[in-house]
Amino acid sequence: MKGYGRAVAATIFLIGLGTLLAALFAALPFGQAPMQVGQATAVVALPETGATNIVSAILLAYRGLDTLGEVTILFVAATAAGMVLSGAGRGEAQGAPAGFILRVASGLLFPFLLALGAFIVVHGHLTPGGGFQGGAILAAAFFIPLLANPASPLNHTVAMVIEGVSGAAFIAIGAAALFGGEAFLTPLFGTGTPGELFSAGSLPLLYLAVGLKVGSELAGLMARVAGEGGRA
Amino acid sequence: MIGTAHQIVLPVVLPLLAAFLLPLVGRLHVWPARLLGQIVGVLHLAVVAYLWTLVGGGETIVSALGGFAPPLGIVLYADRLSVLFLLVLSVGILLFWPRREHGGTRADTLTLLLLGGGSGLVLSGDLFNIFVFYEIVAVASYGLAASGGNAAGFGAALRYLLLSALGSALALLGIALVYGAAGTLNLADLSVLAPERLSGPMGLAAFLLLVLGFGVKAELFPVNTWVPEVYTAAPTRVTAILAGVVSKLSMVVILRLLVLIFADPGAQTLLLVLGLAGVIAGELAAFRAPDLNRTFAFSSIAQLGLVAVAFSIPDDLGIAAGIAVAVHHAVVKPGLFVIAGHWTGPIERLGGAARVSRPAAIAFVLLSLSIIGIPPFPGFWVKLLLLGEAFAAVDPVYALAGAVILAATVVEAAYLFRAAALMWEPPEGDNRPPAAFPLARLAPTLVLTLLILLAMGAVSPLGEALEAMAAEVGDAAIYVGNVLPGRI
Repeated sequence: MKGYGRAVAATIFLIGLGTLLAALFAALPFGQAPMQVGQATAVVALPETGATNIVSAILLAYRGLDTLGEVTILFVAATAAGMVLSGAGRGEAQGAPAGFILRVASGLLFPFLLALGAFIVVHGHLTPGGGFQGGAILAAAFFIPLLANPASPLNHTVAMVIEGVSGAAFIAIGAAALFGGEAFLTPLFGTGTPGELFSAGSLPLLYLAVGLKVGSELAGLMARVAGEGGRA
Repeated sequence: MIGTAHQIVLPVVLPLLAAFLLPLVGRLHVWPARLLGQIVGVLHLAVVAYLWTLVGGGETIVSALGGFAPPLGIVLYADRLSVLFLLVLSVGILLFWPRREHGGTRADTLTLLLLGGGSGLVLSGDLFNIFVFYEIVAVASYGLAASGGNAAGFGAALRYLLLSALGSALALLGIALVYGAAGTLNLADLSVLAPERLSGPMGLAAFLLLVLGFGVKAELFPVNTWVPEVYTAAPTRVTAILAGVVSKLSMVVILRLLVLIFADPGAQTLLLVLGLAGVIAGELAAFRAPDLNRTFAFSSIAQLGLVAVAFSIPDDLGIAAGIAVAVHHAVVKPGLFVIAGHWTGPIERLGGAARVSRPAAIAFVLLSLSIIGIPPFPGFWVKLLLLGEAFAAVDPVYALAGAVILAATVVEAAYLFRAAALMWEPPEGDNRPPAAFPLARLAPTLVLTLLILLAMGAVSPLGEALEAMAAEVGDAAIYVGNVLPGRI
């Protein structure tokens, strides 16, 4: 009877929420949202920051604290997951190695994925992409060999050092402006010539820190989950 | 060397910086990492104390991050309200710094993240940025709830995570509605645009979604079902921090939203109803609770319901009453949770507790008297302020709320007196008295009890300071004028 009551309650809740949302969306003026902040930013972003990729300008300059927060959320999630997983004890992955073709291919893929990830991170202020996307590709570069051959464990110490130092670097770059009497995360070194690799001031440095942190964090987290899964 | 206004970012980034580096230090050895964490905790307190010297006289600090003027960039906003709750956060976390729980230095890292995220939550003046910091606080709370290393803690943390994830999704939906309707996320900018773009059902729906989302941490009815389980299963120190501090930070966010953006009768009534439901449900459940931990968990729900009721009163003194209830609860409840965490088991087995450990029993009685609201304890003045405001409000529904609060106080007194009386009686039958209380474990409770006794002597200056603070917080024009000079 208890399960039945729950199902009824859940259905009523979902119908209520659905009705509410449907009514709200019907009331929203579709296609003519008042994009105050969006339009204003699109006009001033390039001259103010020197980044041709306006999305990056918003992520790193106008909403830099959000980006620091998002990197932190990934870190706190990895730490909390580590807290829960460490209850099961630590163990090396015990899965069988994959076939010959996969092992060789993963070795061949490694340098290309590394180069692609690095390219996307470094050009984040110029073209679509950036620290989060490039960092995920970097993580994949390290995780694919691990999937192909579970016996070759990821070097957790190196990943941890990169992760800690790059996270600290993001905050250090942001805090450097404080010593000049400016607000936290104020871009340094001027804007440069928009479109060149060395432009947009300190924004590419911030993206590099984000890319390294996201990459090492994701790789470490995936390796840990794969290790625990292989053991269980 | 560092410009005066821009230092308000330090309470946010100092703990985050330490948290990023802590696993590295911990790799070398555990104790330097733990020391680093606690040093940063003390530094945080020092920075907050310094900030209080800047804003204590009624000044405000605004820092536009990255040098990008609002509403395009994110601003941090420090007035007396934000710094007061930074102080509560800082002191609470230092008093209840985790012991060496299972998982090496992870609990220290998560505590630092909670400190940084919580500071961001009260300082941020941007709706989406608030959500980001809320998520940091939320995820750190799940990890800490599981830090006892027992199965009950893992189970409780998992269910807490599921409910909290639902809450975050609702809050995000609310933010999307606000952005879709107003086209901006800056609180001051929203405050200017709200009467035109966020009035009517759309604004009310957005407020409902935001309150349900942020209400998960604020233990608001009906998204508080995680409370009794987590507070029973988590380590005592974590329970003290979650119940005492984290819940209040979410209430501060809800207060800012209510004052700045949703200052209309619909939103106030909504918060009043949710608050009253929390008061009634919490006190009745606390009356029937089998052990002290659950009693205080449910009583905590009721107290946060009181805060919501107070904030819903459309008057500056209502805000003053809400802040008073929140701060009073932040001082009293962690002290009681320490006692509950040591004397677990059924309430009937508390017989003889006073003989085993007199200081603990005395602290229990003093803190209970204050929370019920017996004069001359601070809790009495807090409840008097709240009831006075409720009965003086124009809308008669608030008089009804006042009556409900009075009735709830009777229930509260009944279960707290029952437990206190048991402590002074000899153990029933052949039951053994509860375990003796080591003084080191009781120390935070004694500190907090001392604070309550000291506050007894300073009721009128505290009251005046509170009224001045509430008048500042309740005036949306002050906030808008400070963030966007020239818009008003």
